[in-house]
Amino acid sequence: MALTPSPVLRLIGAAFTHPGGSGVTGLDLTVEAGTALALIGPNGAGKSTLLRGVLGLVPLTAGTMELGSVEVRGADGASGPPVPKHTRNGMIGFLPQSSELDPDFPISLEQVVMQGRYRRLGLLRWPGRADRVAVRRALETVGLTSLAKRRFGELSGGQRQRGLLARALAGEPRLLLLDEPFNGLDQTNRDALVDTLRALKLQGVAVVVSTHDLELAKEVCDLVALVNGTQLAFGPVDEVLTLGNVQECFDGVEVELDEHTLVVPGHEGH
Amino acid sequence: MAWRSNSTSTRWWYQGTKATDADIGICDPGVGEWGPMTLVDALFGAFALPFMARALIVMLVLAVVAGVVGVLVNLRGLEFISDGLTHAVFPGLAIGLAVGGTAGLVPGAAVAALAAAVVLTWLDRAGITSDAAIAIVLTAMFSVGVIVVSRGDEYASELEALLFGRVLTIPPESVVPLILVCLVAVVAVVVTMKQQLLRAFDRSGSRAVGDSALVLDLVLNAAVALVVVAAASTVGTLLVLALLIVPGAVARLMTERLWWLFPAAAGFAALMAWLGLALGFAGSVAGGVDLPAGSTIVAAFVAGYGIVLLGRWIADRRLATKAGVPQPAGTAAR
Amino acid sequence: MGYFERALVAAIIIGAGTGFVGALVVLRRRTFFAQALTHGTYPGAVAAAAIGVSVPLGAAAASVVLVGVMAGIARIRRQGAQVAAGIVLTGGFAAGAILQSLIPGLPVQAESLLVGSILTVTDGDILLAASIALVAVVTVAVFGKEIAFSTFDQPGFRAAGYREWPIELLVLALTAATVVSALPAVGAILAIALIAAPAAAARLVVPTYRGILLTAPLIGAASGVIGVIASRGLAVAAGPSIALAATGFFVMALVISKVRGLAWKRVPIPVETAEDARTA
Repeated sequence: MALTPSPVLRLIGAAFTHPGGSGVTGLDLTVEAGTALALIGPNGAGKSTLLRGVLGLVPLTAGTMELGSVEVRGADGASGPPVPKHTRNGMIGFLPQSSELDPDFPISLEQVVMQGRYRRLGLLRWPGRADRVAVRRALETVGLTSLAKRRFGELSGGQRQRGLLARALAGEPRLLLLDEPFNGLDQTNRDALVDTLRALKLQGVAVVVSTHDLELAKEVCDLVALVNGTQLAFGPVDEVLTLGNVQECFDGVEVELDEHTLVVPGHEGH
Repeated sequence: MAWRSNSTSTRWWYQGTKATDADIGICDPGVGEWGPMTLVDALFGAFALPFMARALIVMLVLAVVAGVVGVLVNLRGLEFISDGLTHAVFPGLAIGLAVGGTAGLVPGAAVAALAAAVVLTWLDRAGITSDAAIAIVLTAMFSVGVIVVSRGDEYASELEALLFGRVLTIPPESVVPLILVCLVAVVAVVVTMKQQLLRAFDRSGSRAVGDSALVLDLVLNAAVALVVVAAASTVGTLLVLALLIVPGAVARLMTERLWWLFPAAAGFAALMAWLGLALGFAGSVAGGVDLPAGSTIVAAFVAGYGIVLLGRWIADRRLATKAGVPQPAGTAAR
Repeated sequence: MGYFERALVAAIIIGAGTGFVGALVVLRRRTFFAQALTHGTYPGAVAAAAIGVSVPLGAAAASVVLVGVMAGIARIRRQGAQVAAGIVLTGGFAAGAILQSLIPGLPVQAESLLVGSILTVTDGDILLAASIALVAVVTVAVFGKEIAFSTFDQPGFRAAGYREWPIELLVLALTAATVVSALPAVGAILAIALIAAPAAAARLVVPTYRGILLTAPLIGAASGVIGVIASRGLAVAAGPSIALAATGFFVMALVISKVRGLAWKRVPIPVETAEDARTA
């Protein structure tokens, strides 16, 4: 995928607000193709809200959002979340935090990944050669090719998550959003996911990852945004991820800083 | 018209239509005087009779369509809503019948189904627990229907005819409209199939990708309603419900492969419809036992379900002992 | 006691008992299960009517079998509770229809089994309903806390070390018994209205668990009485009148809850600009 000169995602003075009133505000950030942004903040900070807002599931109530060449302006007090055209173009892939999926559903991993192609196919067309190739490629990227025919419910938790990631990738998105993907992953799956994200960056995909894991942010991401109800800081990882900033973001909880990692008590490795 | 028969159980060899001996093909239409009937007679010969042939065609079309729609009913857990819709069309049928005769059946049912769908959707959006809401809507509408029917003549037989159907007295002019309506239902479902399956499997994923839950639910509920409306006036509300629920459940027992569910459900339904019709015919004509057609077919469906269930249980135990693992205590997925 | 007075007494007792257990059914989301029981016990009712024993007795016998079958099917991984209820509902009902056509000259009109016949209710039926209601009240008095706990916080209940199945079995048994007791009044098809509507109405206007358990039987009894009186006054069948009365209460409760909701609703959401919201 060729790198485009304009950023894939840009938020200018943006706020996403749920109909009930809660949300996240003051968002000013830019993500280019082939780069990864870490969204860091405590629970309830609004990281999920931000991701869902980019998807169009939470109304943009202030500011502007630019997705590629599509611009969305915030409207005050929008009553229901309309899904803007940008999500319909299939340029965004999304891996949600947790999915309550019926473990007995009679569907194979391959078929689940194929669901990621539906946006491109639209209503009437059925999967063809190109789609099968994309599915295969997505499975290779996450390393699950050998399990393609297995029933999805039979896979382990970590494998299911990778399967859903493959589904997000099968649509060949330009922007990939991941909501706390590293929660509860064991070391093997964690490493596999890190490798996958690195590979995606090389392919030119823009990635936004929300996480508690500061070490991960340093490992994989180029940019960081600290969020707690509102955006507190944004910039390159090395500049922004300082002890002081993180302490402010996590409301002054005692933070340890050791040689290579920033560790927030209660959030290690989560 | 034959549907005004006074008994629920219609005699299989004489419909109250002007069937002649030539139609029936037997010399002496007395009870049990047909003589020994071979299997072939019951399974094939019976359908030479025009009313049997009509019943078979209608049942086969319904079986295939309800089978396909029924798989989605199963995957989405819509069994109770389907039950609600079959009860809800009852007043429509009763009022349609009272106002417009047989021609009023389908429009009446359609209006009732639409009203029920609107009320259920509105209640759902108002946040009422859907299963209590379904129960209330269906019995309210059914009560209205009972009151309407109770004011007319032939109360008892009318009620039962609407519930248990008149499979053997389907008027010839109803066949084509029924097939057309079923066609619309199955096309609607097939066109949206990918999105329906995604929504069935991963509700939030479907939303995240931009699919409208409202539209998909409307399409599926409409397809169910169409099948109910089309079929209820001919085969009765009980039989329609069985057609929507049982084949899907059987398909889940038979296979774990997504796309095989549909032919499995449709095939099972068609086979059981055929066997049920043949069985009732044999019972009535050869055994002198007067069985209502609709209920016999439902009994065949449920018996078939039991057989597949047993087969599945045996197969699972064989697999388990082969693999040397203790039999897992299956817990309900829903 | 004249038949009308007896019908009124039956309406009150059956309505109250059904409303009470109906609260448990609705709160535990077992309405489809109850619906399946109402239809599935139909063959038992037909058989009982044919033999000449009390209809609830036949229905009770059938319900024991059905609860077992439903529990069995519901445990199968690929099937589940919805399928179980659906199978029992259609199978049972068809069995009843076949039985009915096989038995020549049923002493009871079939449709009275389907939509009830409270005007011909017997003292035995009333006694049965009263006993079941009593048992239900005593059960809830004794086990009310556990039932509430398991209804509203199932994982917490399990985590606290309780076992699910005794409570589940208890409520299931009460539900089956209540369905059986409601048959003489409203019949197999309409029984679910008397079970679900009073409880659903109570739930809309009363915020507490205990309050719902107190209000639902009142609404149920009222529905019974209004239905019987309306049936006589308007010369229509009693069963559907009772069912519609219960529905009427539900609609009223819906309106009341919506009006209440509207009164509190219009809190304006403050519009923020990014600058205003940004903290230092």
